[in-house]
Amino acid sequence: MKKLQLCTIGLSLLYIPQSFADITFNGFASIRATQANSDGGGVPFGSFDEGEISFKGESLFALQASADLTEGLTATIQLYADGSNDFDVEARWAYISYELADNHSISAGRLVNPTFHQSEYQKVGYAHNFSRLPIAVYQDFPFSTVEGIALNSQFELVDGDYSLETKLLYGSWNGDIYLDGVGNVDLGLKDILSVNATLSGDWWKIFSGAFITEMKADSVDANSYIPAIQPGIQAALSLGATQSDVTNFTNAVAWDKKDGLYWFAGFGVDYEDWLIDFEYTNYGVQDSVDAPNENWYLAVGRRFDSYVVTIHTEESKQPDDYGFLNGINHPVLQATGKGLQGAISTSEFEGYGISLRYDFHPSAALKVDYSAGEHQLTNIGDYQIMSIGVDLVF
Amino acid sequence: MRYVNSIILLALSLIALNVQAVTVIVHPSNANALDKKSFQKIFLGKSKKFPDGSQVVPIDLTGGDARSKFLDSVIGKSESQLKAYWSKLIFTGKGQAPRSVDTEAEVVKLVSQNPNLIGYISDGAVDDTVKVAAKF
Repeated sequence: MKKLQLCTIGLSLLYIPQSFADITFNGFASIRATQANSDGGGVPFGSFDEGEISFKGESLFALQASADLTEGLTATIQLYADGSNDFDVEARWAYISYELADNHSISAGRLVNPTFHQSEYQKVGYAHNFSRLPIAVYQDFPFSTVEGIALNSQFELVDGDYSLETKLLYGSWNGDIYLDGVGNVDLGLKDILSVNATLSGDWWKIFSGAFITEMKADSVDANSYIPAIQPGIQAALSLGATQSDVTNFTNAVAWDKKDGLYWFAGFGVDYEDWLIDFEYTNYGVQDSVDAPNENWYLAVGRRFDSYVVTIHTEESKQPDDYGFLNGINHPVLQATGKGLQGAISTSEFEGYGISLRYDFHPSAALKVDYSAGEHQLTNIGDYQIMSIGVDLVF
Repeated sequence: MRYVNSIILLALSLIALNVQAVTVIVHPSNANALDKKSFQKIFLGKSKKFPDGSQVVPIDLTGGDARSKFLDSVIGKSESQLKAYWSKLIFTGKGQAPRSVDTEAEVVKLVSQNPNLIGYISDGAVDDTVKVAAKF
């Protein structure tokens, strides 16, 4: 009987058509050597090795397969590996899409989170002219992909002179974030609701977008903020603070169950081989110790046939915002809250850079860049980053 | 004198190369009025229908003078710019670049057989199985 079953399975496999659908393979890769130095000896950003040339920090590979299942239905998976994660392969995207109409498509599954204007193709170096998009705006958030559903739409306005692209997304994310001195702790984003819009003409575009989410951050609070404020709470209790004061203060500081709000706005120009891009972003956990982060970059580029030269300036700030302490009257608790906010607002920096892109091959671009700046952390201080690499698509 | 002739011949060749037109072709039954902006939108994936509401499927050439001329005169982007443009769409799940074929003869054959197709070829490759929509 078993033999018969095996025979049947074998015959069935023989008769399976070779292909049920047209499958299109695309991919992108970056191979980049990067050197970062800082006066303080610390690593200025994420995945660099201070003082050493590294090929791992910014090298990556991705392969995307998209199956056209006909009648407007497609299934897409993107396998992704980068050097900063030892080239461990992950399914960065896995979703199905359905064309509701010519200008509307709906996707569901694991999708890229359109946090800011270029977040969706942030890793596709060939798609932009930088070695890396300006770090002030394009940091590596752990929630760069989410599980959810998205509606992409495209509208033509004024007899097609302008086009409006919109994206609505609803989803969630669960993962972990790294906290200094603590390690990885759980973090979740619940009920992510994201809206993005880009209005463009022949040579210009303006764009804006936002997403709001409920933070699932009890682990972050329990491992970071709550322990940090304990000495202040003990001091306040010894100086007459009530348990109610302490509870209100703890709730004011915490992230859990509060709204995370991320938004951005900017414009782009591509006119007579002159390129200008500006983007401003703002994000934080509302009514918590996390003051809004304010970041921006401005880039001006010039295209010379196969070459593009781009200069840019960028800034990342987190100005004090003591609004979360409204209603907290005890001076020691007030001081503790202000002190904690100051202690976590340590990623401020401003920088500038110059990048050269050379399209030496129809599918590959050589990029060389130099950037420098001043970081608020004393173990970083003045920093410089240099890199040379190749971005390709296939 | 031989040098002068060579130079004149070379100059004429260059002029001929420069004036080589690219022709956008559709099926003979296609009665849509199309202009440069229409072609841009169709070949950049922004329009998926002809003005009469029928589906449009663009066919690209993988290379050659006609493609260079089409990108330069109609699309207004270099090969690299176009590839960067499509990269943004492909890797954000918003579109796929048009299918490409290797020869102009294939473009003519495909367009002549399907009213939904649109392609471009060099002036000399046009025959009476297709209709000229525009020349650039």
